[in-house]
Amino acid sequence: MAYEVKLPDLGKDAPDKAEVSFWYIEVGEKVEEGQDLLEMVTDKAAFTVPSPASGTLKEIRVQEGEVAKVGSVLAVLE
Amino acid sequence: MKDRPETLPPWIRKRLPRQEELQPVLDTLRELRLASVCQEAHCPNLCECFARGTATFMILGRVCTRNCTFCAVHKGAPLPPDPEEPARVADAAVRMRLRHVVVTSVTRDDLPDGGSGQFARTVRAVRERCGATVEVLTPDFQGRAEDIDRVASEQPDVFNHNVETVPRLYPEVRPMADYARSLDLLRRVAGHGLVAKSGMMLGLGETEDEVLAALGDLRDAGCRAVTLGQYLQPSPRHHAVARFVPPEEFERLRQLAEGMGFEGVASGPFVRSSYNAGKLAAQLVRARTCPGK
Repeated sequence: MAYEVKLPDLGKDAPDKAEVSFWYIEVGEKVEEGQDLLEMVTDKAAFTVPSPASGTLKEIRVQEGEVAKVGSVLAVLE
Repeated sequence: MKDRPETLPPWIRKRLPRQEELQPVLDTLRELRLASVCQEAHCPNLCECFARGTATFMILGRVCTRNCTFCAVHKGAPLPPDPEEPARVADAAVRMRLRHVVVTSVTRDDLPDGGSGQFARTVRAVRERCGATVEVLTPDFQGRAEDIDRVASEQPDVFNHNVETVPRLYPEVRPMADYARSLDLLRRVAGHGLVAKSGMMLGLGETEDEVLAALGDLRDAGCRAVTLGQYLQPSPRHHAVARFVPPEEFERLRQLAEGMGFEGVASGPFVRSSYNAGKLAAQLVRARTCPGK
């Protein structure tokens, strides 16, 4: 079953995008729920994004150095 | 999108929760048409606090009449205050089951009462609906005693007003404010017998001596609680970060501040005046009822 890892929307006037700074995991690797998948950077701080489920990282949709808008899919797990 | 600062230290990192963890607070704020300083000021603690079910309300609109160089809140000409806003803040406090309600605002130099009436009405509205402790984080009301007193007369459990930085940096950080005026406000609040609290951001170019002197000034003014946190630059247009203060130094300052007699001190890179404010407030109440403990 596919699980989309999304950049959460923080609501009105909050930062609406973040840049991917580093993927800890590669496509094909197995991950546990809660394990850090990647690091993102907003205007003020860095954030680690934990895996919402256990599974295999099937697809990375936003590469290092790219900016993702809130609500967008960062990766797909299976 | 600004260039990522290569020098973001490893401790300026937080965990991003899932949308589902944030949604209840986001829904409440959206449905009740309330602003949070968390969102407006791009607080890095937003995710942590929202996931825990708390937020700090920002009343009097989303547009500020000042031009502080550290702040991400929109600047410009604001709209008239919304008379229904106090009731909606109270609704949110009930919905969110808050035990400690923190209310802050933009600065409203355009209003004759500086927005003090809205603060007073909001404290009252919250108290009518729930038994939560209430903390206000106010602007300086341009030092007008009448406006300070209007808020103080509602007897908020904590009356917070931030000096933000040391006096030497005011021209470049808080050009429309006045350090002495802010101290006078705190002195007046403490004089009314209320718990006065203040806060500073570090890393704007201040020296440690200046920080200690400012802490001394706050103690002299009757402040019982102080918060110290790392300044983070919201955009390339804002004041640069002069320095990232390491956690050990925040810890040392915490101990020094406690040694100066502050009953409540929060000091750390991510500390903000309203971050975990309930915990600090509880400490202050305990300190008041159990002196010497």
